[in-house]
Amino acid sequence: MDNEESLSKYILDSEKLEISNFSKKIKIAFLSSFTINGLSESLKVKCSKKQISCNTYVSGYNQYNQEILDNKSKLYSFSPDITFLILDTRSIFGNLFHFPYSVTDSERENFVNEKITEIINLINTFNDISKSKLVITNLSLPHYSPHGIAETKTNYSFHDAIIDFNKKLKEKILNINSVYVFDFFKFIIKYGENNVFNFQNYLFGDIKISLDYIPYLANELIPYVISFLGLTKKCIVVDLDNTLWGGIVGEDGFNGIRLGPQPPGNAFIEFQKYLKALSQRGILLAINSKNNFDDAIQVIREHPSMILKESDFSCIKINWNNKASNMSEISDELNIGLESFVFFDDDPVNRELIKENMPEITTPDLPHDPSLYSEVIQSLHDFSTFQITSEDTQRGQMYLEEKQRSKSQNSSHDISEFLKTLELEVEIKKTNSFTIPRISQLTLKTNQFNLTTKRYQEKQIQKFSENKNILINCAQIKDKFGDNGITGVFIVEKINSVEWLLDTFLLSCRVMGREAEKAMLYYIIKQAKKNNIKKLKAKFIPTPKNKPIEDFLSNSQFYEENGFWIYDLEKPFNIPEFLTLKEE
Amino acid sequence: MSEKLFKIISKVMNVDFNDLNDESNPSTIPNWTSFNGYVLLYELETNFNVKFSIDEAMDVKNIADIKRHLKNHGVILND
Repeated sequence: MDNEESLSKYILDSEKLEISNFSKKIKIAFLSSFTINGLSESLKVKCSKKQISCNTYVSGYNQYNQEILDNKSKLYSFSPDITFLILDTRSIFGNLFHFPYSVTDSERENFVNEKITEIINLINTFNDISKSKLVITNLSLPHYSPHGIAETKTNYSFHDAIIDFNKKLKEKILNINSVYVFDFFKFIIKYGENNVFNFQNYLFGDIKISLDYIPYLANELIPYVISFLGLTKKCIVVDLDNTLWGGIVGEDGFNGIRLGPQPPGNAFIEFQKYLKALSQRGILLAINSKNNFDDAIQVIREHPSMILKESDFSCIKINWNNKASNMSEISDELNIGLESFVFFDDDPVNRELIKENMPEITTPDLPHDPSLYSEVIQSLHDFSTFQITSEDTQRGQMYLEEKQRSKSQNSSHDISEFLKTLELEVEIKKTNSFTIPRISQLTLKTNQFNLTTKRYQEKQIQKFSENKNILINCAQIKDKFGDNGITGVFIVEKINSVEWLLDTFLLSCRVMGREAEKAMLYYIIKQAKKNNIKKLKAKFIPTPKNKPIEDFLSNSQFYEENGFWIYDLEKPFNIPEFLTLKEE
Repeated sequence: MSEKLFKIISKVMNVDFNDLNDESNPSTIPNWTSFNGYVLLYELETNFNVKFSIDEAMDVKNIADIKRHLKNHGVILND
């Protein structure tokens, strides 16, 4: 178990926090069916360690129904970004917790169905009133049952009822935007019921998570904060020697490195499998290693126990250059900012170099024991997203295609020649339950080709899509090397009968430099003309990161007037011939 | 050992060490809420390697009571 500070330390530290110190801010509300004192303090302290100011509201003890049902409650006036509703099995099951067999099996099932309906009604009310994301816990499974060992021979048993509750809760919530289940059941599996639940704590103060485990629960909530603020890491950069395999290939040779089914070589196989799974869900992998290229690449290409293949890495730097300059190159080639990287290297000197020169990069300390490597990455909590989109799962493949494009670009003499060969196709798509999470994700994560850098949660995007004064679309961008998925977004506010305003206009960094933006702008202009609009207005809001879009408006025939950029819709606008524009 | 006890109380209750005495109680220490009282007992259990019963926990009204229960558990406090 990773070591945690005592709860009293968190409580004390939270009193000393100056919460408004950081530029990243979040407001979190806690509702619960039992005493959760200390949880908000622990979360605040943990957020401050990640340079996040966390402001919290904790509702009164077991007041969650009243808080949600009363649209004038303090919960709503606090206006949280994320609300955690923490429930427990004893409170939900009431008398049936102790006496589940005082009723028939069908009555138990009815009870579960009624409770689910109650909770879903509560969630719907919350969703109607609040803009906050809602995270609700499922229920833990107590090892206790009055039926003892006969529990598993009982039809729709007490334990079945709890499992059924969790299953139904998940199913009902699966398609409700902005509502998520926190797997409390899994939290108890991780730390053990006998550790987390303590009868004295419970009987003394209705404390159902013992005091020393509250900071651990706070840890599990951090991923929601990271995801909400769009701080999810995009790429893990790994070293090779003593990181992906044991030993030093340059000294120990191809046959001498430790990588195979026997210990200690199996620790590296385990770690590689963990990395591979992360890459399959959209986290990019890259290599930054000081080695002879031929020695190291031979292991990657030919070693029978290598789990990760050359094609799993979006960028490979194996050379004798300084690792910081390699990191800059990786960042440039993948078009990802330094703050989106995790650097994983067994050598403390290299780690220090990166920490010193590139403090934005997350550089965890590594234990000497490679069997603990996966845990180090897991404990970072930095790869979480509220939802995995299809773009996430295909990201590695998309970057590989990008590599081929770059090669092709290098072989073309000029950029327009290159673009012609790409066979670029931009399809403008409408908002729906599939595209809304991705549109929100793009507004949260896109920094470079982003005109206004306005961040929108799913609920806001949903509202835009229902508002007839807003034009909101996304763009799916394909070329001959593959499908980049939904990688462009625009939101246009129809201000009045003659003017429209570009509220948001962005392209993912993956598809920059191919003039897909012209197809998107062409579509907007076409729609505006159809509606007899005279002027398309825009604002460029500069940030430290959006330099790539600063000339977009002037290059697209917009002119400056009274603080706005204006496109006069009398003027014709054409898209380059090599672009194909499709509309859904 | 009394010093150790007072240091823990001072830390948990966020109160100056010198302001504490055997008679200190929830009405003289603003941070001594029922929850913090429980956090305190928890810290004492961890630091002195003892386990209070629910009767003992309920019986604590001031620091003297804590000392009495610690002594009953064999903790030597040099007053």
